[in-house]
Amino acid sequence: MTPGDLLLISLAGMVGGLLAHRSPRRWLAATLVGAGAALGAAVWTLAGGGVWDWQPDFRLGGELVHLHLDGLSALFLALLSVLGAAGSVYAGEYWPDRRHPISAPVGRVWWNGLLLFMGLVLVSANGLHFLIAWEIYTVCAYFLITQERRKPAVRQAGWLYLAASHFGTLCLFAFFALLAVHTGGWDLKPMRDHPELAPLFWLALAGFGLKAGIFPLHIWLPSAHANAPSHVSAIMSGVTIKMGIYGLMRFSGWLPTPAAAGWVVAALGVESAVLGVVFALGQHDLKRLLAYHSVENIGIILIGLGFAMIASAHGQPGWGRLALAGALLHVWNHGLFKALLFLGAGSVLHATGTREMSRLGGLWRAMPWTAGLFTLGAMAIAGLPPLNGFVSEWLVFLGLFGALPAHPAALPAAGHDPASWAAATAAILLGLTGALALACFVKVCGVVFLGLPRSEAARQVHECGWRMRAPMLLLGALCAGIGLAPVLFWPAVACASAVWEPAWLADAPAPAPLLALGAFHLALAALATLAASALWHRVKRNGLARAGTWDCGYAAPTARMQYTAGSFAGTITSWFDWILRPHRHSHLPRDPFPAQASYEEHTPETVLEHVVQPAGAGVMWVSNLVRGLQHGRLQAYLFYLLLGLAGLIVLALMGGGK
Amino acid sequence: MMPALDMALRLAACLLLAPLLPGIINRVKSWVAGRRGPPVLQLYYDLAKLWRKGVVLSTAVSPGHVAGPAVAWVALAVASLLLPLGPAGAPLAFPGDALLFVYLLALARFCTASAAMDAGSAFEGMGVVREVSYAVINEAAIIAALLTLGVQTGSVSLSVMLAPPAAGAGAALLAAGLFGVLLAENCRVPFDDPNTHLELTMIHEAMVLDHSGPPLAAILHGAALKLLLFAVLLAKTVLALTSLSWLATMGALGASVLVIVVLVGLVESLLARLAFRRVPLLLATSFLLCVFALLVAWKGGRL
Repeated sequence: MTPGDLLLISLAGMVGGLLAHRSPRRWLAATLVGAGAALGAAVWTLAGGGVWDWQPDFRLGGELVHLHLDGLSALFLALLSVLGAAGSVYAGEYWPDRRHPISAPVGRVWWNGLLLFMGLVLVSANGLHFLIAWEIYTVCAYFLITQERRKPAVRQAGWLYLAASHFGTLCLFAFFALLAVHTGGWDLKPMRDHPELAPLFWLALAGFGLKAGIFPLHIWLPSAHANAPSHVSAIMSGVTIKMGIYGLMRFSGWLPTPAAAGWVVAALGVESAVLGVVFALGQHDLKRLLAYHSVENIGIILIGLGFAMIASAHGQPGWGRLALAGALLHVWNHGLFKALLFLGAGSVLHATGTREMSRLGGLWRAMPWTAGLFTLGAMAIAGLPPLNGFVSEWLVFLGLFGALPAHPAALPAAGHDPASWAAATAAILLGLTGALALACFVKVCGVVFLGLPRSEAARQVHECGWRMRAPMLLLGALCAGIGLAPVLFWPAVACASAVWEPAWLADAPAPAPLLALGAFHLALAALATLAASALWHRVKRNGLARAGTWDCGYAAPTARMQYTAGSFAGTITSWFDWILRPHRHSHLPRDPFPAQASYEEHTPETVLEHVVQPAGAGVMWVSNLVRGLQHGRLQAYLFYLLLGLAGLIVLALMGGGK
Repeated sequence: MMPALDMALRLAACLLLAPLLPGIINRVKSWVAGRRGPPVLQLYYDLAKLWRKGVVLSTAVSPGHVAGPAVAWVALAVASLLLPLGPAGAPLAFPGDALLFVYLLALARFCTASAAMDAGSAFEGMGVVREVSYAVINEAAIIAALLTLGVQTGSVSLSVMLAPPAAGAGAALLAAGLFGVLLAENCRVPFDDPNTHLELTMIHEAMVLDHSGPPLAAILHGAALKLLLFAVLLAKTVLALTSLSWLATMGALGASVLVIVVLVGLVESLLARLAFRRVPLLLATSFLLCVFALLVAWKGGRL
């Protein structure tokens, strides 16, 4: 079977699921077939290194259909099909028809639409069709986000998403239109030999960057991800924002880029990574926190891509390949562990009905599967060995260290390459990001799953059923798999990077360190398991007694004395007050016998509050001034006409009748 | 079979020698204070006793409370295999192992911090917050130090990075910066006081309040191992050991680790613990020292 056949089956499966949305079972079967076939096509392309190109003599919207599946699009298609399948299985229990008789079937229509049109974006090689598919999946995502649109917060999040997305689409519209004007057609193909197209990259960066959620274009992202149903948050964070990355990678590979492009992308990546995780630390809504981590991880991907662009411009394949491989592998890794974390958060939300971390605690007792798998995802996203997050961050780090000047002592006279200065700064900040992410996920795991329940909601919980657990298990297994055997996944990454920069060969062998790292990870995992079980046996042999938590002699400890999400992050967020600008409401205890005291801290979306909203208010103010001109008095309107006419006459006379 | 034997021997040496360091520090402290102090081998006795003791677990804790210390200990033990010891190199060496070393320390931190959060105690929460917050600046400092070594040698493998010594001013800056990181990461004065009896002012000791028996032994041994790792790393960054014989190398390395440990003991005797709000300033200072070392390395070692 060729990828063409498989993609046809996939299309049939998705459309079949769309038509069968009334019956959850038939919908699930058809959607899974569709996702499986798409995965087959992606694996065929990635493993074989081939390209599937299909140009039938068939017009759609006046343009010839042109479908194109190569290594780069196959990498994203594989992620899309895995997460699509996982989310479809999860949704059956998380969003059942019983509890949501109207929104569940309708949601399935939008879900299949989202998957189908994202797939079409990935395979279409015609600018017009790319734009159409882009717009349709954006709208599908809007309807999925607003499934609970009775809640004002959801409607607000949906509106913000829609407005921001359309601003991005506007940039893309300009991008593709200008591209079509310059090249004389909407067809997309490698066009690196047209240097006049380079400035168009900035439009692509704005449009795709908004979708990807680069700081400060991320304003729509936290509320949209927090308020969507969790399987939708998973696919949004795992794949939808990656479409922005796909766009950036696709068009920085196919089109020439301005000289500054790599620097700007790398700088945006560093800044998104650090600020994303800092904002995440300030959150106490579980899903909002995870959403900010998407900003962070998009930043890590962009650091890799930015330095790969610099390397490609300077002819440095050695470290450029590593940085790009890190970025590409991180696309997969972030998709996998972030989807796992969102599904875990959904399982918590499903069991407790709240996303407020400070109301949770001690969930591991009732929800051991969710707690264990969430912790696995947390370790992966914090970049800890032996999991997948470390592998891709390590590749990016290797790229950055490779950009350092080799033996400057030997070549003191040679001018230093600016890339190496940038790489050193980026490496330090990437290390900082890793430590901040670790702090953040110690906080999440500790506050949500460990300790004692902080509220009644957290006390009466239940573990999720197998249909919610199975997708999490699959994603967790993939996270561990990429971490333990990274070499197996190298050909896919090499294939995609050869598409991005054809000068960097696809059949280059996996770097030897990757093999060593995989072996090390295997040994580490085996030894850790062994040591943990040995210690547990020793503890059991020595005798085990149970007692209350030691609170230094205080006789009446309560669950409310535990550290909460806010107090945990307080030290670090106080270092970043200048950007976080938290809202604090404190009612400090007074008098010898204080009656009541309270303290509340809330980190808003600072860019939205301090940049976008003032700008919007400015527009409204100007509009209000202009509105004064329209008041319904006919005499005044006639006067305007007269003025306008006089103005035109003056203009005509002055212009000399040209 | 030789590499495996070599690896096992080195691992055994590290594991066996590590508990000696806190004993030496205590001995220095008691010498300065004019006390007799505990025996140098006290930690060995403590570990042996803890290993045999029964365990009291809080009713709040999950199985992670026992698994965490075990995984953290393994992470630190395998990290010791990445450190090169003189001309023999490291048992495990590949490009990028320097970063693996840093992230193994992070893995150990994640595990001990999560195990501490497990008990749901406010005191342990306090310790965890300080540990993970201060580690942010430390991590930046360590990456800056690695970049310095990477610029000097053009490599990302500890075996190559630590082979030639840093020269002159750069080495002094780097050693000062790394010494600060060593004190902070191992929770010594002036960042943390391991001997205080007030939980409110502790970091590491606050995190282990609810641990007992063999898991506590794993944590204490892991902490000693971490001190040894940092001491060896610091010694190797400033010491030229390439031209010496195997035995002389080991002697020089041992002597320099001893000097570092005595220095830690002297700092502990002569300085008071800083107020917590001042700790980030001192951490930032050691980060800046590492950055200055990086700049010096960039200039080819010449000021």
